[in-house]
Amino acid sequence: MAKQYDVVVIGSGVVGSSIAFHLSEGGQKEILVIDKDYPLSGTSGSTQAWVWVHNKTPSWYGELSMLSAELYPFLERKIGDVEYKRTGGIAPFFNESDRESALRLAEKQAEVGIEIDVLTRDQVLEKEPALSPNIAGATFSKIDGNVNPFRLVELYIRAAKKNRVQFSFYNPVIDIKRDKGIFEITTKKEVFRAKQLVLAAGPWTKGVGKLLGVDIPVKQVRGQILVTEPLAPLIKHTIGGMRQADNGEVLIGYSKEEVGYDRRTTLDVIQDTAKMAVEYLPDLAKANIVRCFAGVRVIPNDGQPILGEIPTIDNAYVAVMHSGITLSPLVGTVMTELLIQGETSIDCDKLRLDRFSEFKSYV
Amino acid sequence: METDLLIIGGGPAGLHAAYVAASNGIKTIVVDESFSLGGQLRQQTQRLTNLPKQFDSQIGITLMQTLVERLTDLDVTILSKHTMIGTYKDGRIGVSNGQRTIPISAEKVIVTTGAAEEAFVFPGWTLPGVMTIGAAQIVMNREHVIPGKNAIIIGSNDFALEVGKQLIENGVSLQGVIENEDQLIGCKEETIQFLKEAGVPIYQNSYVTQASGAGEVEKVIINHNGSEKEMEIDLVCIGKGLTPILEPFEILSCDFAYEKDLGGWLPQYSTLMETSTASIYVAGNAAGITNLGAILLTAEIAAISVAESLGRQCKEEATEKRELLWQELYHLESADSKAKFHGRIKLMREFQDNVDIQLSKLFNMSVGGV
Repeated sequence: MAKQYDVVVIGSGVVGSSIAFHLSEGGQKEILVIDKDYPLSGTSGSTQAWVWVHNKTPSWYGELSMLSAELYPFLERKIGDVEYKRTGGIAPFFNESDRESALRLAEKQAEVGIEIDVLTRDQVLEKEPALSPNIAGATFSKIDGNVNPFRLVELYIRAAKKNRVQFSFYNPVIDIKRDKGIFEITTKKEVFRAKQLVLAAGPWTKGVGKLLGVDIPVKQVRGQILVTEPLAPLIKHTIGGMRQADNGEVLIGYSKEEVGYDRRTTLDVIQDTAKMAVEYLPDLAKANIVRCFAGVRVIPNDGQPILGEIPTIDNAYVAVMHSGITLSPLVGTVMTELLIQGETSIDCDKLRLDRFSEFKSYV
Repeated sequence: METDLLIIGGGPAGLHAAYVAASNGIKTIVVDESFSLGGQLRQQTQRLTNLPKQFDSQIGITLMQTLVERLTDLDVTILSKHTMIGTYKDGRIGVSNGQRTIPISAEKVIVTTGAAEEAFVFPGWTLPGVMTIGAAQIVMNREHVIPGKNAIIIGSNDFALEVGKQLIENGVSLQGVIENEDQLIGCKEETIQFLKEAGVPIYQNSYVTQASGAGEVEKVIINHNGSEKEMEIDLVCIGKGLTPILEPFEILSCDFAYEKDLGGWLPQYSTLMETSTASIYVAGNAAGITNLGAILLTAEIAAISVAESLGRQCKEEATEKRELLWQELYHLESADSKAKFHGRIKLMREFQDNVDIQLSKLFNMSVGGV
């Protein structure tokens, strides 16, 4: 007889692991997380790991990001040090004509409580003297920062395991059926049964959705990231496209390509990225690049997170989004509310799957 | 730059492949990250046995000179101090000298990037004075610097024992060979005899528990049959063995397979030495850790296959040459280790449907262990 759980989460990246951990805090659910590979071998392990808020639009999306960023210090008290640093974020612009839209952004975001300063060139250079004098200004907010994604996912999992969540790794899901309201999940290794099912498979969510008979409208987008040799402290803030890690390495990445699940890097993008980085930070021209890697991210077709019930299937849920690192504390919290109480403390209607007019379900 | 053939790596496999290809009228570029060619041959002072029959038995350094010199009058461009750093979307390969990146458009590519040394890890392993056995050999034979006074070697494969012998010949006091197993891994009688006569203690069932010292290694503690022994040591050479370098194949999208006897993970390839990515070939230690004879022969097989696919050799001629080379490779490699050749056959069988048909003309695939 297949083992039955209250909740099965498919995907043990930052989103799935966070949901499992937050759900396990109540202690009343038997939870299993299944991953086709090993945590951090996919998207969550190939990211710049920003906790990025200030220029996320529309402003309600910025607000969600802010609420999640606010949760990080509390999360650290529960699961341990994930090297969350609220560095402040700077998004430079190169033309004075962009100041107008920067001011509009600041005004809009202020309505939801995100404080943004629109800086002059001199103010930016005072904060970050290494930035190019060619920039015209920047938007700045104290709320932005970054985190160590490896520690984050590992500590989510460790804390979840402490709360008796079970994990099954290297175990792809092959089929999902429903039998009298119970999900029957066939994996490579064995069959599991679940009362509630959460799809949190990042860039693979579309494929997993198909097994369930629903179309999850997401795309796979590749981002290539360059890593410099360890450098003396150069930048303090998280800056549009780059940040400096504790060990001195600067991570740089701007690219977005729809090439399917292809984790290769190409010299075309590497060279473009390097040129762009030097335009921001001229000193980087002297730095050696020691490593390049690519991550394949998931982006819902309209750019916003998809979170909540799958409308046509009772007890099936989806949590898929581009900014999983930023949003994971909030997503874990509201998904727990939804799975246990059936409603969320903040309004998540805009995140529902059936907002897509092309939403298709075969069930 | 444009070329018929681009060879990544100017060690023995790359140089030999360049010679065979260019002798067939193929315009060739060889890229190597170092300032001089020859790869690991540059510090091999020992006599090389098991070379293909076209080469006389000789030491590595003279073989390197031969391999380099005979390229002089051929259409071979050497780009030393250049490293392959990636590929462009259009398939061109970017090689960089750290200042400038040159895109190279090549019909065919042979990757001969060789192998990297593996290390045993123990507390203190990052102290200066702890190095791989290959590094010790480079310091000694290429830089002409004695790497230490009182040494131990961890691991006992043939290469480690050979360098142990060279350390002694250069005046280093070799105070022990530390082997985790209950017997030596290496089997070259001559070298083992030399070490015995030199009075080098062989510690079997042993491992290093830690190395320590102020700023550099001064002391090593080994566990020998369960009891600890402290030694005054300023040079620790780690001889764990080699594993193929895989990054170029990852960038080139090649599929991999695992063969323990060939050094672990390596690119899959056919009897033509072509990888799963069309027009990308592999040879030398990158195609499985082996002896120098097999390194040179895989390079020649790859070069013949390139010549055939570029129309410089007819199919019959190329097939016949390859058969002879595979036969010679079988004999040379099996002399060292039957398991390696078995690993190769297994790797190719998993990748290519008709390996047995191709090779059964050469060997009886069921008798004789193949």
